[in-house]
Amino acid sequence: MAEELTFEQIDKTVFDTLRPPDQGYWTLMGLLFLGVLAGAGCWLYQIFKGIGVTGQNNPVHWGTYIINFVFWVGIAHSGTLISAILHLFRAGWTNPIARAAETMTVFAVCTAGLFPFIHLGRVWLVHYMIPIPNQRLLWPNFQSPLMFDVVAISTYLTVSSLFWYTGMLPDLATIRDRSQGMRRKIFSILSLGWTGELEQWRHYARGYLFFAALATPLAISVHSVVSWDFALSVAPGWHTTIFAPYFVAGAIHSGLAMVLALMIPLRKFFRYEKIITVKVLESVAKTIVFTGLIVGFAYGTEYFIAWYSRNSIEMETFRWRAFGDYAPEYWIMVICNTIIPLLFLFKKVRTHLRLMFVISIIVNIGMWYERFVIIIGSVAHDFIPHAWGLYRPTAVEFGIMIGSFCLFFLLFALFIKHLPSVSMTKMKESVHHGGHHGG
Amino acid sequence: MEGEKICLMGLFRDEGQAVSAVRGLKDSGEFHLERVHSPIASHDLDDALGLPKSKVGWFTLAGGIIGFFSGFLLAVFTATRWNMIVSGKPVVALAPFFIVGFEFTILFAVFGNVIGLITQARLPRFKIYTEYDPRLTGDRYGVLASCDAPRRNALSLFFETKGAKVKPFKRAST
Repeated sequence: MAEELTFEQIDKTVFDTLRPPDQGYWTLMGLLFLGVLAGAGCWLYQIFKGIGVTGQNNPVHWGTYIINFVFWVGIAHSGTLISAILHLFRAGWTNPIARAAETMTVFAVCTAGLFPFIHLGRVWLVHYMIPIPNQRLLWPNFQSPLMFDVVAISTYLTVSSLFWYTGMLPDLATIRDRSQGMRRKIFSILSLGWTGELEQWRHYARGYLFFAALATPLAISVHSVVSWDFALSVAPGWHTTIFAPYFVAGAIHSGLAMVLALMIPLRKFFRYEKIITVKVLESVAKTIVFTGLIVGFAYGTEYFIAWYSRNSIEMETFRWRAFGDYAPEYWIMVICNTIIPLLFLFKKVRTHLRLMFVISIIVNIGMWYERFVIIIGSVAHDFIPHAWGLYRPTAVEFGIMIGSFCLFFLLFALFIKHLPSVSMTKMKESVHHGGHHGG
Repeated sequence: MEGEKICLMGLFRDEGQAVSAVRGLKDSGEFHLERVHSPIASHDLDDALGLPKSKVGWFTLAGGIIGFFSGFLLAVFTATRWNMIVSGKPVVALAPFFIVGFEFTILFAVFGNVIGLITQARLPRFKIYTEYDPRLTGDRYGVLASCDAPRRNALSLFFETKGAKVKPFKRAST
């Protein structure tokens, strides 16, 4: 209950999470690190053997690497939704989960950013994408949506990292003021000498507002740009104007599900029950129903447009999606993303933490398959029947994918034990303004 | 000749009491209001202090304008190095280059915002005031005021009547 929370209790609860971790934590970290090593080993193997060790071949040249890239960029979006878009709308219920969601954004973009490098094959030529004069005097072609992506993702990583760090500044000073020894020294540097002086707050509040105002159109543009990687090429199922809003809604859908999947265990392990209340998680669940409906509407619209266009190639592509070789993947996508989240319409479901956790995982599986269906489906079965073909990922691709998941969770696990996983400042503001944080 | 100055900090649990103390100090002719600290952003304290609007936004705007032209012109520059028509589009294609310009607008506006924030708030600052209390980033509002040494008790009484715990600091100033 919000009324019971005081500034002191908020500080104490968050401080307790920063105590030296137990053996279970280090065991988990060890396992995750092994997963990262396995992924890195697979990548190294691919570098030495060549890109042929993947299942990518004619006609499907974009496989799990691009699926994972889009998946992780999508996961990143809910952090911005929660901390920037809903901040502008003054939705106080997001305060307890804003920090963790922002962190998720930063680490998810880092993870996503690895995949174009892995997909490149000859990763040492990555500097060709940077607008610098190279030995052949070649320059990047900014008419290509792939170059939009380079600019958009780099901007998103930079902006979300700065937004995350700036938001943490007052909390870092709080930790500095309650620490001794080496920790105090580290946090003195990290907090940049923040003292909570009104003169500092005056500029900080203004700067933070502009951060939120800039991050909002950026987040929407980034996933729109990702969607144009597909929509600007003339392939059936890809070349459609609905892609940008469809991708943005899907990104927020998967991101919110990941927020639930991370917050429910975090709440339990760190005893955040008074801060991350069931009401907060319920609000996330309600938003998932909304984004699930948008995504479902987009699935339906794609079929309507294919039928309405009377374009035989487009009609065949969508018939094949639902009844062809990848029909199981298609139906997993539809059921996991649009049908199962509707269970959150029932209060009993959206207040039952275990059910919420399970549904959040199901939505994430569904969203991974959505990217599979879109990316693989269209090029596997396009204009000319003799060029049709199927794609299945190989063990190397699975290894790298598992490695990426381990990397994301490893970074997140490191964060929660070393930095404040709940924004103390935002929580204090919530309590100060009448406890509108879902309590 | 001016005598020794002393500094006292009133530590308040309640924002309303801190606001009242700030207003009282500004109205009194004998005490000098030095600084105010708060664990959260406080509009009421801003109003009581009569602080002007922050200028951070101008840095953000300048960054955004520079960013748009940097992005757009970078795309134009790279395209005109070879002057080749790709996919039937003009060499300087407005729609795709506008996207590059847009992303650079956001990036540079954020850089401007950060520069504005650190210059205006005078960060980083690695030497913290000697007149400071660690509780100021926790749950206390701090109002620091100075006065001539003989008026120390009057200032202390002022803070106590406003509901503060008083923390004294020595300041060797004239």
